[in-house]
Amino acid sequence: MPAEQFIQQLKAIVGDAHVVSHPEDLVVFEYDGSVAKAMPETVVIPESTEQVRQVLSLAYEEGISVVGRGSGTGLSGGAVAATGGLQIAFTRMNRILDLDRENRTATVEPGVINLDLDNYARKSGLRYAPDPSSQRACTMGGNVAENAGGPHCLAYGTTTNHVLGLEVALEDGSMVNLGSPSGRPVNATPGYDLRGAFLGSEGTFGVATRVVVRLLPLPERVKTFLGIFPDVDSACTSVSAIIGHGIVPAALELIDSVIIKAVQNAADLGYPDNAGAVLLVEVEGLAEEVEDIGAQVEAALWETGAFQVRAAESAQERAALWAGRKGALGALGSLAPNYYLADGVVPRTQLAEAHRQVARISQEYGMPVANVSHAGDGNLHPCLLFDEREPGALRRVAEAGAEVMKACVDLGGALTGEHGVGLEKKEQMPLVFSNDDLNAMLRVREAFAPLNRLNPEKVFPGGFAYQPAAHRVGAGMYI
Amino acid sequence: MKPSLPSQLAKFMPVGSLVPPQGLEDYAVDGVMPQAAALASTREDTAEVVRWAAGHGVSVFPRGGGTQVALGNVPAEVGLALDVSGQDRLLDYQPDDLTVTVEGGISLGQLQRELAPGGKFLPLEAPMAEISTIGGILAANGTGPLRFSYGQPRDWLIGISVVGGDGVETKAGGKVVKNVTGYDLNKLYAGSLGTLGIIVEATFKLAPIPSEITTVLASFPGLPEGIKAGSGLTGTEFAPNGVQVVDGQAAHRLKLGEGQAMLEQAGVGGALAIACIAGRSGGVKRKMDETTRLLTESGAQDVAILQESESQSVLEGLTDLGWNSDTKPYLGIRVTAPPSAVATVAAKCLETSSQGMVPGVLADPGYGLVQLFWWAGPVSEWVEDSLILETLLRARRIARESGGHAVVEHCPVSLKKKIDVWGGQPEAIEIMRRLKRKFDPSGILNPGRFVGGI
Repeated sequence: MPAEQFIQQLKAIVGDAHVVSHPEDLVVFEYDGSVAKAMPETVVIPESTEQVRQVLSLAYEEGISVVGRGSGTGLSGGAVAATGGLQIAFTRMNRILDLDRENRTATVEPGVINLDLDNYARKSGLRYAPDPSSQRACTMGGNVAENAGGPHCLAYGTTTNHVLGLEVALEDGSMVNLGSPSGRPVNATPGYDLRGAFLGSEGTFGVATRVVVRLLPLPERVKTFLGIFPDVDSACTSVSAIIGHGIVPAALELIDSVIIKAVQNAADLGYPDNAGAVLLVEVEGLAEEVEDIGAQVEAALWETGAFQVRAAESAQERAALWAGRKGALGALGSLAPNYYLADGVVPRTQLAEAHRQVARISQEYGMPVANVSHAGDGNLHPCLLFDEREPGALRRVAEAGAEVMKACVDLGGALTGEHGVGLEKKEQMPLVFSNDDLNAMLRVREAFAPLNRLNPEKVFPGGFAYQPAAHRVGAGMYI
Repeated sequence: MKPSLPSQLAKFMPVGSLVPPQGLEDYAVDGVMPQAAALASTREDTAEVVRWAAGHGVSVFPRGGGTQVALGNVPAEVGLALDVSGQDRLLDYQPDDLTVTVEGGISLGQLQRELAPGGKFLPLEAPMAEISTIGGILAANGTGPLRFSYGQPRDWLIGISVVGGDGVETKAGGKVVKNVTGYDLNKLYAGSLGTLGIIVEATFKLAPIPSEITTVLASFPGLPEGIKAGSGLTGTEFAPNGVQVVDGQAAHRLKLGEGQAMLEQAGVGGALAIACIAGRSGGVKRKMDETTRLLTESGAQDVAILQESESQSVLEGLTDLGWNSDTKPYLGIRVTAPPSAVATVAAKCLETSSQGMVPGVLADPGYGLVQLFWWAGPVSEWVEDSLILETLLRARRIARESGGHAVVEHCPVSLKKKIDVWGGQPEAIEIMRRLKRKFDPSGILNPGRFVGGI
């Protein structure tokens, strides 16, 4: 079928206004939050499951590959149309279909923004726990595809622990429910846990058209502590001490001196000049628990070398303590024109060593680094600072990033804690997995999508010629 | 004449690893005797024997502690029963990382004992913890009375190695608590009943051992009242870690001591809500007070608080109910349903039960589960298959109407041959079949036992 005819058929399904095919209009769909770029040939914006089904059937018949897209905040190239083809944007499928107070679940369309769901649930005294830093923008469909994390996943687990059921469109346009049938939240269904396998499959198994999630009661009390340390090493020791003492806070975040300086440049948050690292610890639960565990956290912070500890309970005061952490990436603009954001994960006890390795790599490459870490999970996000206008800078930053990943793997960690493999890390997969391991994974993809028409060229090494491009510092970047 | 399976295996299996003929009966699956049984004491042995079996079309029935061996449909025939319970080493324990890596054959009890000195534990429950192996628990994906807060075994699994149906060992996940490197095959293997691979290694997240455990018992005039009260506890921020509601029959087998007396006071048809609270802080007392208050407000006739040692034994009893020799039922059905439907499901199952076929009930209103037990006794002597079948179908219909499903966990073999214990094919059966074909191309791993004939 000629391209024009294909576009006409798409328009017949979703309406003229919701098919994008002019190159100048397609530019906004060619990237996500990562450094990868590729232009889809067509973008379609359906408003219902039925339209998604029809679009997929049509694409299947025409042999055209399909990539799903939420808000494009992903950091590994998950939503980038690596082979061109058709992109389905879920912007219009953004309805919260049901909130079931009795069963504490919600049913949402894939385009619903994570924070919108959380805010909606809060009106009923409930909340949606996974909170990726992009939660103001990222969609539930994307969260499902990437198994999104976030600061509070330390205590509550990642997206996979909160999704009960999925309605999914497969590559041939057939529909299937995985886990709980929609609107019927049950905790287990007979057969293989396909819902669990689908979570984090990066859009290569199918396209979620409906998501049933678990909601949690709101905590009675929340308390946030901020500990200021002379250096990253002592802050990491503090993390080990807290976790090792059997305390699992709701969140445990670390920022280093480079970030501290950057945020101080942007706005005075009162961090002292000699602050080498800041730990942010959030404790929540019943008043008694918060009291008890909070006291232990505070003691641990002092004992492990914090020279200043602040605490806050009101929402406003807590927001002030979080300001440094949340403003971390935005503030990097004052330090360098570009940064490359890595996503390493190591056993928590290796966190200090991982930061030392990152410092070594930064020195070797003559590239300053700023660290912001989900320390409690052993998940670090070094930001390598560079200027894309310098010749060879892009190549060197990609090499440095790969070295960071290798260092994490050598410490017993993995390639990615929460951003996904996508295009960014697929060539590094053999660092962690043997060919046999990768083949086992490939079998699952083949069972879901035998023709590999969904989000091709992702996750597995080979194929796509991956060219790192510069990332401009600015709005829209999250970790 | 073709040489017998044991003599073929003897050619390459280590000396002493074959189970002698007189021991085969212990390895029967639903009364079907295996042609051979062998102990695979290393993962390499496991891979080698599976590779051989795949090449020779011999079915392999992996086996840990054997506690859940009756789960699944009756197999047509059993080739080799492969006992992997000898692979029972703890490989790596990092208390400060809250992670542990073990071989698949270690028992849950043994693992918890080895974890305890480091102050951590694995938050999952399985019947007969001293015998149940980690590999078996994962394969069956079973849960216990604290499932409301613990979730399922899959929720704690972060890394896994399996020997697939081609005899090749592969891994997925890793040793870090947050990891999206590659597809999450942990979830796929957990609950796959050994049909995709034999679990030889598993890495888990751990939790700190709670410093206090306490249990609140409350008696109610009837099961619906008990379930309603229990359900009222689970939506709050001071929810207990797990709430079970049992009727008189189930309570009787749990040997609840004080609870027994409370139940007798409640009269015929009375029920007992059992709320368990575990924690490390002042939160436990608060939760206990709130639980007691809420249960009283929702009409509890009597409330009692159990101390730690009693709590532990009640939890153990609830976990083992239906599985240990004292409480094994003649017929057992597990209904999973939306939490809001638990009361209706339990009530309907009781209302519609035939004369002489009134089940004992254990309900978990927080998680959404109703277990029905028909205990062997005089009843089984005269009850006809058709009556049981009718009971099963009714339970299944009630489950389906509530949005859930019913799995037959215990059933006389003669009847089991006539039914599908999983209650028909799941919606995504085609994908499941394709997975099975890819992971086990010769179809030798636990054939015929899982959903849709897998």
